Amino acid sequence: MTSPSLKRSLACLWWVLMAFLYLPLAVVVLFSFNSINSSALFESFSLRWYERLWGNEQIMASLGHSLVLAIISSVTAVVIGTLMGYGLYRHRARRLGWLIVLIYLPIVMPDIVFGISNMTFFVRISSLTGWLSPGLGTMVLSHVTFQIPFVALIVYSRFVGLDATLFDAAKDLYASPFDRARHFIVPSIKPALVSAFFLSFTLSIDDFVISFFTAGPESSTLPIYIWGAIRKGVTPEINAIASLMIAAVAVAAVISLAFTRSKGSDASR
Amino acid sequence: MKRGITETLANESTARKASSITLEGVEKSFSREAIALDGVDLTIKAGEFFTLLGPSGCGKTTLLRILAGLDTPNAGVVSIGGVDVTAVPPHKRSVNTVFQSYALFPHLSVEDNIGFGLKMQGVDKAERTRRVREMAEFIKLSPLLSRRIHQLSGGQRQRIALARALVCEPDVLLLDEPLSALDAGLRGQLQVELQRIQRRLGMTFVFVTHDQQEAMVMSDRIAVLNDGKIQQLDTPRAVFERPANAFVARFMGHSNLLEIKRRGADRLDTAIGPLTLPADAEHMNDGDLVLIRPETIELGDDALGQPNRFDATVVESFYRGSHFEYRLQVEDVALTAFSSNQGQKLFAADDRVPISISPSDLMTVRGEGG
Repeated sequence: MTSPSLKRSLACLWWVLMAFLYLPLAVVVLFSFNSINSSALFESFSLRWYERLWGNEQIMASLGHSLVLAIISSVTAVVIGTLMGYGLYRHRARRLGWLIVLIYLPIVMPDIVFGISNMTFFVRISSLTGWLSPGLGTMVLSHVTFQIPFVALIVYSRFVGLDATLFDAAKDLYASPFDRARHFIVPSIKPALVSAFFLSFTLSIDDFVISFFTAGPESSTLPIYIWGAIRKGVTPEINAIASLMIAAVAVAAVISLAFTRSKGSDASR
Repeated sequence: MKRGITETLANESTARKASSITLEGVEKSFSREAIALDGVDLTIKAGEFFTLLGPSGCGKTTLLRILAGLDTPNAGVVSIGGVDVTAVPPHKRSVNTVFQSYALFPHLSVEDNIGFGLKMQGVDKAERTRRVREMAEFIKLSPLLSRRIHQLSGGQRQRIALARALVCEPDVLLLDEPLSALDAGLRGQLQVELQRIQRRLGMTFVFVTHDQQEAMVMSDRIAVLNDGKIQQLDTPRAVFERPANAFVARFMGHSNLLEIKRRGADRLDTAIGPLTLPADAEHMNDGDLVLIRPETIELGDDALGQPNRFDATVVESFYRGSHFEYRLQVEDVALTAFSSNQGQKLFAADDRVPISISPSDLMTVRGEGG
């Protein structure tokens, strides 16, 4: 049995861990509301740094790039990843376990390797054909590539959770292949699709390394801007951007999680 | 306009269209070792309650899936209502299935589940709503229409699955062990109800089960399947009382089977001793089995002075209300006997009891080899 003192120290450790994880974030958020330009002294509450952000064209442009990149890549990845997840599910009897390894690879590969290899590839293609010169297009391609496995796995596990007889029931009840997709498959996996979209969105907004290697001169995203800006020191402006990103990512992650959870409730019998 | 099911029910003299089914040389294997159907020829009459009975892995579910179009046979022809449907995909067959797991769509309400087939057939919304409501009324589901599937009990799901299939008014209704997940009381009730629905609609029902009691209660005819082949196809009474071979006899629950060791002019040698032959015994041969039904064994004083008399020891006795059940031992052979309760004494374990079997109650069953 665990002694009361051990229990207390474990509880203590929990709070220490939480503080370690969230205190730095809290400090960033706090100082984004600082009225003076200091990262040591908090004077009074103010929104001046947020107002400053609004007026900064470079930041607004990067924010735009980030959002466009995240939305386009997530939508594309959800479409392709869903088809992939469905394919894996339909052919699960053929023991395609080894394919999963291929799918996992982009997930476990270090971002820097992934980013550099993408960059090298795009540069070579570009020098040969003139296509795929670095910019938003190449960034979308790279992001879609690393988002697909996440989408495929979420969708696949949703399919595995469905009663396989439902596919037979849909056929038996006069649904043509198109009707099956529209009236059965898509509605059945909708929570997984929403969850996959927001997870992809979060991954894309977050990403610095891969974007850094595949971006062009006119397509820097928010993380790339921040990286450039902090070489001149951390300003309260950076704190404000960071706080907004924390909020955006947290919202997307919560939505993603909520929809992942909801599969339990309506797939259960 | 198509007649609604409840209109049909209101006017029982109206015969609904029903379709016959013919299978010719249907074969299906999933791999070289796994042969599910080994050349099945079968005719199911229009409007019949037909049961495919057999142990798990006998091919009965595969046969049902071939009728539904969910599996394609490797060889053979499937016709429904005289039309070859072998290559017709499931969504273009006027056949609906009640699945063992019910397979109700979790993302839809009860009403939308029942209406799914009609919607896919392009029935407009007003007509669909009318027919779904009508069906819900008929199957006593009306209060549940707006519920979600996960809020319902097994019995309710079963009814919805049935309603969803029936509302499409198919030529043939297929039922894949639809009652196996329910408790005994509910199962008995739904057996009666299913039979009633089938009689009133006059629809062709093909029912799959591994429960011989269920098959006997409900069916017009039964096909007993084993190893992908039809072992016997007949009425419930014929299948039970005149099983075609030892497999059918055992599967129908007969336990008193004795091998004929040698046949003489007027008697048979068996493990319990010599048996006097019935008058029409010409088909009893060496290697066949003699079947003694438990209820045909006379016990005690009734057995005295009768032919085929043996001395038995009671191993166990059970009081079953309407009848007594005995596990007997004659020589080294175990026999089961039922005697109907007419107020007589219930023998106890270790009692020595005379038994007799009338020659006319002896039946032959072809041996496992034949």
